[in-house]
Amino acid sequence: MLFDSPVYFVFLIPIVLVYWRLSHRAQNIFLLVASYFFYGWWDWRFLALMIGSTTVDFLIAQKIAPGRSDPNRKKWFIFSLVLNFSILGVFKYFDFFAGSFLGALDSLGIHNIPRLLIRIILPAGISFYTFQEVAYIVDVYKGRIEASRSFFDYALFISLFPHLIAGPIQRPVHLLPQVQKERSFDAERFFDGLMLIFSGLIRKCVIADNCALLANAAFGGQFGPSNFWVVLIGTYAFAWQVYGDFSGYSDIARGSAQLLGFHFMVNFRQPFLAHRLQDFWRRWHISLSTWLRDYLYIPLGGSAYGQWKTARNLSITMVLAGLWHGANWTFVVFGAIHGVVLSVERYFFPAKTKPGDAVLPLRSTSFFSLWAQRILTFNIFCLSLAFFRATSLASAVQLLAGLSNFAWRSEYASAFVMLCLFSIPLFLADLLLEAGNHEYAFAAAPYAVRTGLAAAALVVLALFSGSSLNAFVYFRF
Amino acid sequence: MRSSTSGSNSVALVYAKMLCGICAILIIALEVVSNVLLKQYSGTYLRVSQQYVQAVGSRPSNPGGPASVLMVGNSLLLAGVDVDRLQQLTATSLRIYPIFLEATTYYDWLYGLRRLFREGARPQVVVVGLPVSSFLGNGVRHEYGPLMLFDAREVLDASSDSGLDRTATSNLLLEHWSTFWDARSILRAQILRHMIPHFEDLFMLARGKPTIPQGAEFDRIASSRLRRLREICEAHGAKLILVIPPTPSSDSVARQMATASRNVGVETLVPINPAVLSTRYYESDETHLNSEGAALFTSALATSLCKKIVTAEPVTSPDKKAG
Repeated sequence: MLFDSPVYFVFLIPIVLVYWRLSHRAQNIFLLVASYFFYGWWDWRFLALMIGSTTVDFLIAQKIAPGRSDPNRKKWFIFSLVLNFSILGVFKYFDFFAGSFLGALDSLGIHNIPRLLIRIILPAGISFYTFQEVAYIVDVYKGRIEASRSFFDYALFISLFPHLIAGPIQRPVHLLPQVQKERSFDAERFFDGLMLIFSGLIRKCVIADNCALLANAAFGGQFGPSNFWVVLIGTYAFAWQVYGDFSGYSDIARGSAQLLGFHFMVNFRQPFLAHRLQDFWRRWHISLSTWLRDYLYIPLGGSAYGQWKTARNLSITMVLAGLWHGANWTFVVFGAIHGVVLSVERYFFPAKTKPGDAVLPLRSTSFFSLWAQRILTFNIFCLSLAFFRATSLASAVQLLAGLSNFAWRSEYASAFVMLCLFSIPLFLADLLLEAGNHEYAFAAAPYAVRTGLAAAALVVLALFSGSSLNAFVYFRF
Repeated sequence: MRSSTSGSNSVALVYAKMLCGICAILIIALEVVSNVLLKQYSGTYLRVSQQYVQAVGSRPSNPGGPASVLMVGNSLLLAGVDVDRLQQLTATSLRIYPIFLEATTYYDWLYGLRRLFREGARPQVVVVGLPVSSFLGNGVRHEYGPLMLFDAREVLDASSDSGLDRTATSNLLLEHWSTFWDARSILRAQILRHMIPHFEDLFMLARGKPTIPQGAEFDRIASSRLRRLREICEAHGAKLILVIPPTPSSDSVARQMATASRNVGVETLVPINPAVLSTRYYESDETHLNSEGAALFTSALATSLCKKIVTAEPVTSPDKKAG
């Protein structure tokens, strides 16, 4: 069920209306059933997989809390990690690694190897709920949280439908207590939830879906052979598409959660205003970047053992972050580019804050220097997106090889006008958010103004959203 | 509903309810306005709805009278066939009922025809005029199609056949029930046309070229689809003829399609060999025939149709058999 489809709202509205009439226990069971229905709407077969892994992790968590005298505590912990990553590995990476291995043998002259490849369907949301399960197991093992005594509470924490398919990846310490405690109706947060949903729909259906038209044409070769302008249109359009798409998804997820009395962490903070790549990853997909920081980068040693080891840890983290996005070498290269640039930045500009921390105001930087850095950072990100979006390394290289050709076509001007038409409003909204540090644009305005803006947003949605449903980019991950 | 009693909370609740009410009113207003705009101002809607009503009224002719021919197709026929001229050229032997809707493909007409037959259309001949890429392509047209060609039953069957998931199916159903939802991309295109210079050129470019399956896959898909179309037509006493309109460089696929049709016993017409038509007969989009090309194609189609229908054995409808 896509968040931007009418059927989602047909699902959501009765859920909200019934939910607030129930007691706390009934609310949780009702939401759990609704979440499983939401997931099963896509494919019932994979519901068993999610319920199975939820059950196993729930049972293991009972055995591994620090207070337990179970001598096999550590073994259970490792078993859980191996199991979770194995499930993810099989469903997400088996075809990729087996295919790469056979390809390597083929290039070494070893042919006629029986192909045991099976087409494995990627279950929706598996990367997201696996990371949430791993975070829970680690946090219980380390004693950061208590193991949930109620299976229903834990299962709801894993499968709560607003975050189930594409995040934001929720931390147990943040969401599990909200599931366990009684939630009271807060009309202000309810109203903010509605506003977040409108903000998300505009970002997804108006900004992302229209930019997707240009990005698809540029990357699909419809704008002719690659040249400087095609690369520029393609990568810029894709940057705004993926930003509008995923930040829109996150807004709708957070808005939906708020209608139900939950609070989800902010997942994007104006990433295209980042002045360095370090800063960018504090603003982009924050729930993933902080997860990687806490459960991968810091356990690897973080920045505690000198520059080379910091660079190594950063590179490992970013390559794995790239691979998390999808089973393709293009994502590995995307991650590697970020790892290298982050390492270089770390060398020249040692970090004063941890990734994921609040962004420090840049008091000492001049206006022009700040904007030069922002433009540079945006362009580095766009360049890496050539690999992120391309279907293969060869096609990414082929696209970038055209950068030295400046042949112009009259259609490019129309493409740039269209790109500006749909990206500038989001850019202006980001400037506004950066200045006010709110969760959505005009969050501090009076209710009457915000109600009017939401009504205007609905009209804009009606006039500018496309016809076909475009699946959210991050649904693939 | 358990609610806190603070002042700002109750204000927020009032505005939240107001916002929900505004949304409901706006949605209803959009539906009403779209209905009015579409039914008053959309050339496509007016044309297709008129053609549809006439097509439903098609009946087998009396002995010796002109055979009734239902002709369906997409923009290639719309641009390439001068309907008045075709009717003039074939007046003595054929009565043609055209329905041409842009960007339609196989599934639009498979289920569109099923609904037409169910609503009472009884032509003696059904001519389906689609380029090979549209005949073999998946999916259905989202604008106009679900609204004008399908019933809910057709929507569900078309969705199942073209492999749509539940969300896409629900979307298609909504396009059938809601004029606004069906027409919203047309609305967007109209607005963008005014805002972006040369939007049509950009859109044409961005749309990309359709892909056609190759080899055995081509034959498998073509055969099964032709068979299904033929069965639907024959069940209602109509003979199926496939017309392949010319598009640049389509001569080899047109030949391949003609062979596949012959193998399943469906007559195929390629009124003009695409290889002999130079670019001067096409519009600047290099896909649709211009007026000069349309004149050529219309004459050739008239001749081919008359030859194929008038000289062939008459088809008796089941209604007549029953009578």
